[in-house]
Amino acid sequence: MTASSLTLQAEEGVDRTARRAAFLHRGASILLLAVVGAVFAFPILWAAMSSLKSTDDIITGTYPLSWSSFVPLKATLENYVYLFSELNFQRNLLNTLIAACGQVSVAVITSSLAGYAFARLNFPFRDVVFGLLLLTAFVPVEAIIVPLYRIMHWFGLVSTYPALFLPFACNPFGIFLMRQAFRDIPVEMEEAARLDGASPLRIFFSIALPNVRPTLATLVLIQFIWSWNAYLWPLVIMQDPNKQIAQVAIANLKSIPNSPMDGPLFAAATAVTIPLVILSIVLQRYYVRGLVTSGMK
Amino acid sequence: MRPTTAPARKKRQWTGQNSNMILGPAMILPAVVALALFQYLPLITAVLNSLQSFSPFDQSSTGWVGLGNYFEIFADPAFRYALLNTFLYIVLMLVMTIPLALALAVLLDRRLPGTTWARNAAIGALAASEAVTALIWNQMYEPSSGLFNAILHAVSLPTQPFLTGDSQALVSIVVMTVWKDVGLPLLIFLAGLQAIPRELHEAAQLDGANDWQIFRKITLPQLRPSLVVALFIMTITATRMFTPILIMTQGGPQGATTNLALYSYLQGFEFQSQGTASASVVCMLAVLGIVTLVQSYVLREKQEK
Repeated sequence: MTASSLTLQAEEGVDRTARRAAFLHRGASILLLAVVGAVFAFPILWAAMSSLKSTDDIITGTYPLSWSSFVPLKATLENYVYLFSELNFQRNLLNTLIAACGQVSVAVITSSLAGYAFARLNFPFRDVVFGLLLLTAFVPVEAIIVPLYRIMHWFGLVSTYPALFLPFACNPFGIFLMRQAFRDIPVEMEEAARLDGASPLRIFFSIALPNVRPTLATLVLIQFIWSWNAYLWPLVIMQDPNKQIAQVAIANLKSIPNSPMDGPLFAAATAVTIPLVILSIVLQRYYVRGLVTSGMK
Repeated sequence: MRPTTAPARKKRQWTGQNSNMILGPAMILPAVVALALFQYLPLITAVLNSLQSFSPFDQSSTGWVGLGNYFEIFADPAFRYALLNTFLYIVLMLVMTIPLALALAVLLDRRLPGTTWARNAAIGALAASEAVTALIWNQMYEPSSGLFNAILHAVSLPTQPFLTGDSQALVSIVVMTVWKDVGLPLLIFLAGLQAIPRELHEAAQLDGANDWQIFRKITLPQLRPSLVVALFIMTITATRMFTPILIMTQGGPQGATTNLALYSYLQGFEFQSQGTASASVVCMLAVLGIVTLVQSYVLREKQEK
């Protein structure tokens, strides 16, 4: 009893300095976290703030550096008005939405069907096909864009909506994600249904699919964000400005000769980015799981 | 080792057995058709096109030229720069993102106040589009009206030609991409850290190990699977870097930021030269394959030790 209380007392002395060091360490870490968050958030907030300034203010506002460089003191919505009345940006947003919905639909269909087959059914060459599928995760779209364009041209699909998403119908990450989810369902559940005489297709629709709803949400979210952010492929395949998606339309604002478009550009960047960023943060449970499982942005 | 899973697996296969030489193939059919048409067909076309020459007028093949396209691009200094830059992007991206992501993951894993803020901000940067963030950074990098030079000016440092300087442009693009993408390895490491049993740390602490020892001897070995995944993903990300380059510098100044992805795009769409475009794409895939093989070799070596 006494011996242990003595060591306790001795330890308390050591403890106090240790605790002080721990306290300082903790404070420094919290400060660091605040800075890290600010660095990540800054460029997007900067765009949002700048979108409320006139183009002239954006260009001249940084010299000399002052409060007004960061915060729009003369806040105006003129960029948004210009964007949605003169530039008809809502049309580009609608096109982006159409492409994203198409992408989500085809990816959900192909990934859930194939994911289930790879997880639960036995058929010849199953593992070979799955291997060939995973291999394409190493082939970025940048590498096949020229022949892919020729193929779409051959199908007569250049400058059509399906061309925006059809080439990405088979998504190795999506199939991998769904296969993992189907594998995690206890096999007894399907077994019971099978013994009750349910057909495999019936088991898929009424037992397997309802049990992977969270993963389906992940798949939908990841595919939606991926399609929303696509730039290179729409730039190449969509030559009809009326069907062009928002990302390409924004980038086009950069290169209008002799008339700086910084204000509308920031407004468009904000309009297209902020909703998506909020969506990803609110639904981060699904988003992060998809990122970590499949490594797909 | 795990006796409980073995029968379950056997049973699982048996469950599937009752079926269905038709249903299985039918269910993968949509995916396989898309895989064949939009992945393997263009890939094989690219390889075959790299061995042919094409008419500049109607883009039809004018016959087989063997390795002619490869000799042609290797004789092109612009291609050799692009090849070198591709490696440079990969090395810079890995050297900058992996340690940074690891450090941030350890910081975020302590669950202090402020963790949610930092984590949400990183997720936001990750979810924002490459094109839009490249445009935003492009404006901040502007030589005369951009924010970064305004800050340098305000603290009396010399302003920088971020995107127009021979030596700065590539690094400027990498910095932007690191900002954008470091969240991905960060989240992978964070998931890995959270899977490490707490008892391991506590046991080491009782044995008198300090923080650094714990990190070296326990955390890092336990994180190995996450490290492998993060390395592969960041290697692919770095090899295919394209959109920020096209938006911020178009590959300039004088090709200083052109990598193989951009080179093949320019060959294919600007110069309408399918043969050399395809040959450079094959080189790009070869680079990716070689780097990935080297990585798996190095990492396997470590495991055997």
